[in-house]
Parts: sequence; structure tokens; C-alpha cells
Amino acid sequence: MMAVRQINLSVIGSSVTPKAMNDSAEHQQLSQWLISVAEQRDKLAFSELFKFFAPKILRIAKTKIGSEAQASEVVQETMSNVWRKAHLFDAQKGAATTWVYTVMRNVTFDLLRKVKSNREDTLSDDIWPIAEQSAADDELFEDHLASNNIMSVIETLPENQQQVIKGFYFMEMSQEQLANHLGLPLGTIKSRLRLALAKLKAQLGADHD
Amino acid sequence: MIKHHPTFEMLKAYVTGDLPASLAAGVSIHADKCDECRKQIALLTEQIAEVSFEPEHDPLHFGNVSDETMSVDFEQMLDNICSDDSITLTKPTEAKTITLRDTPYQLPRAMQHMEISSSANIGKLSRARVMLDEGEIHTSLLHIEPGGGVPMHTHNGFELTVLVEGSFTDEMGEYFPGDFIMLDGQHVHHPVSEQGCLCYTVANAPQKFTQGINKLLNPIGNFIY
Repeated sequence: MMAVRQINLSVIGSSVTPKAMNDSAEHQQLSQWLISVAEQRDKLAFSELFKFFAPKILRIAKTKIGSEAQASEVVQETMSNVWRKAHLFDAQKGAATTWVYTVMRNVTFDLLRKVKSNREDTLSDDIWPIAEQSAADDELFEDHLASNNIMSVIETLPENQQQVIKGFYFMEMSQEQLANHLGLPLGTIKSRLRLALAKLKAQLGADHD
Repeated sequence: MIKHHPTFEMLKAYVTGDLPASLAAGVSIHADKCDECRKQIALLTEQIAEVSFEPEHDPLHFGNVSDETMSVDFEQMLDNICSDDSITLTKPTEAKTITLRDTPYQLPRAMQHMEISSSANIGKLSRARVMLDEGEIHTSLLHIEPGGGVPMHTHNGFELTVLVEGSFTDEMGEYFPGDFIMLDGQHVHHPVSEQGCLCYTVANAPQKFTQGINKLLNPIGNFIY
């Protein structure tokens, strides 16, 4: 039933040959900077991200909006969101470029709407949910979670990682709620979750092969 | 099960933020219920992001002042941003509801911050305008009472219907929640809802009624549009 549209995707896939960006070292570096901003409010890491993204965002926004002043507003707003929302980035779920792109797309959309329709409403975060970029990954992981031996694997984790995993996946608490609940910094929750997930993936991968 | 999806071009314009809010929200409501389109959107976003931020598109390096970047003081901007140490916390918000003719509906996530006018009724139809201020593009929530329908009509422009809840049928078959139905002047149809339904509709011109006495109903076209 979806056959017609899927043909097109492969065309796009082949026309896209991002050489330098395919370099996974660069992706890893960008992700690492974002994580440092999230966990340590690392200004040096942020200035590296700024150097990489700001000129590119300015060029893209200028093409789209035309006005230099408004394009510069897009850069300011996007990078400011990157600085203040870095904790929402999840390296398990996608590339840093994808995440920054969605932040830029949302900022541009709300700004253009303000200009064109004279509306001050902020609709972008409702129209494009953050979780969307991870749809493909989630499904894979849900299948694993559904398997019967998941609990026995979780029990092999250190107690503090178990707490975070159980809260996040079984009680569906947000990372912020967990931080409050456990009285820990958000960065600690994030790194425990990341460690625990890496271990789970390794273990479950081994079990399922 | 969902049978009607946005075209590839529309998904792409959704990802790049080039659709008007009305249509972008329509794609979003559909994607919420459609795993397949959600996956395509995720893949497209990744690919478009990668191409957008490709280094070779950007020969200018930071600090290397050129005509293009001269008027923007990046250093100043960077300092401004970092001087604010607060972070943005996302609060889970409770889903809003709307009641049309005594039927309560939960609003789709994409509509949580949209302003919706009070509803108006004609026969078994009930319409609430979504105030997006997009000129000739009008967006509404349309509730059809059980047993109600819209007389045979065609479209002067385009008409997008995303079925939010319930079901309806027309000459082309039966529709289910999440179905994304894009029609234009080539289509003539007569939707009927046996059990009642809620539709999210976007149109850029009034509907045109085509049959016999129903032509007298053309004012309803303006009501729905």
C-alpha cells in the first residue's frame, strides 16, 4: 500500500552523498560537544558547536527569509535553544546535525509565521514533537523490551542504573522528574541512563543473536 | 486501518518547515497515527539535516570575515547566549478537549496551542474555526452527528480532510482515524458518517454542491469552508 512513495526515498538516498559528514568521527565529535553542554554547561564545547553551526544556519536562513536581520535572529534563537535545551538531545536516538536542524526549522517556522500571519503563537513544538526523529529506533527497542528476559537483564545492572532505567521506561517518568525524585543532577540521570542503555543493548544483542 | 497518506513531496515540505501551519498540523495529526509515515519523516529529517550542514556548502570559516558574515557579530552573539545559564525544562501539559454537540473530543497534540472559535451548527454538521490567519486557507474542526453527511460536492480549490475520530464513507470507500484525504476539483463526493466523526479540514476555496436541489445548498459550502 505504501509502495508508490517508497520508490522515491531510495532516489533521495542515492543523490545524497555527504562525504565529509559521513565521516562518523565528525558526528561523534558534535554529539560529544552537545553532551558536554548538557551535562557540564561547557562553554568551550558550546563555542565549538557555535563555530560549526552558526555560519551555516545564517546561510540557510538568509536563503529562506531574505532579510539579513531576521536571518541573524534565527541564528541567535536557534543557538540559544541549543544552549538551553541541550539536555533534550539524545545521542542514542539520532545525530547532532538532525537535532540542531529540527531546532532551526522550528525557530524559522515560528518566526515566518509571525511575519506572514502576524501571529505570536508558538506552534512548532506541537507540530513537530521532539520524539519524532527517533521513531525508527524506538520500535527496535520496544521489541527488545517486550521480550520476557528483559527484567533479568536489567537486574544485572548496578542498583543506581536500575533505578533510572525502571523509572524512565516502566514508570514513564521524564529525566527531569527522575532527577527531582532521586534528588540528583539531571546530568547524572542522563549519564546513568546512557550507561545502562549501552549495557542493555550489548547484553540483549548478545542474547538475541 | 489507514489507507490515505500524504504524498512524498508533502512529507518533504513538512520536514523542511515549508508548509503553512494548517497543512503541517494535518501531516502531524496523520503521522501521530501512522508508523510508516513517522519512519519516513524520521529518515527524511536525518537526510535533509545532513545535507544542510554539509561542510562543502560552507567555504567560509568562522573568524574569517567575509562579505557574507560581516554584518553579524558572531562573537557578541556567542557571549550573549552563554551569559544566560538557565535551561529550558519541558513540562508535560494536559491534553485539551473540545466539545461539539455534546461529544467531547481530545484535541490532537499539533493543535494544543491553536485558538479555536466557538462552534456553529447546520443540520447534523457542527463546525469550529481554527484561527490560524492564513488568508484564503481556512482551517476547521468539523463534527458530523451519527447519520449525518455532506451533500454531493466538489472543490473549487483543494480540500484536506484528516479524520481525527470516528469514521465516514464516500464513493471512494470507508475512512478511519488518521486517514489523510487530499481532494480537489477532480473529485466529487458525498461523505456520510453512520456513527459520527470528527474531521480536521483545510480548504482554500468554498465547496461547490453539484446535484439537483443540492445546488441550492451552495451557501453550506461557505459554512464548511
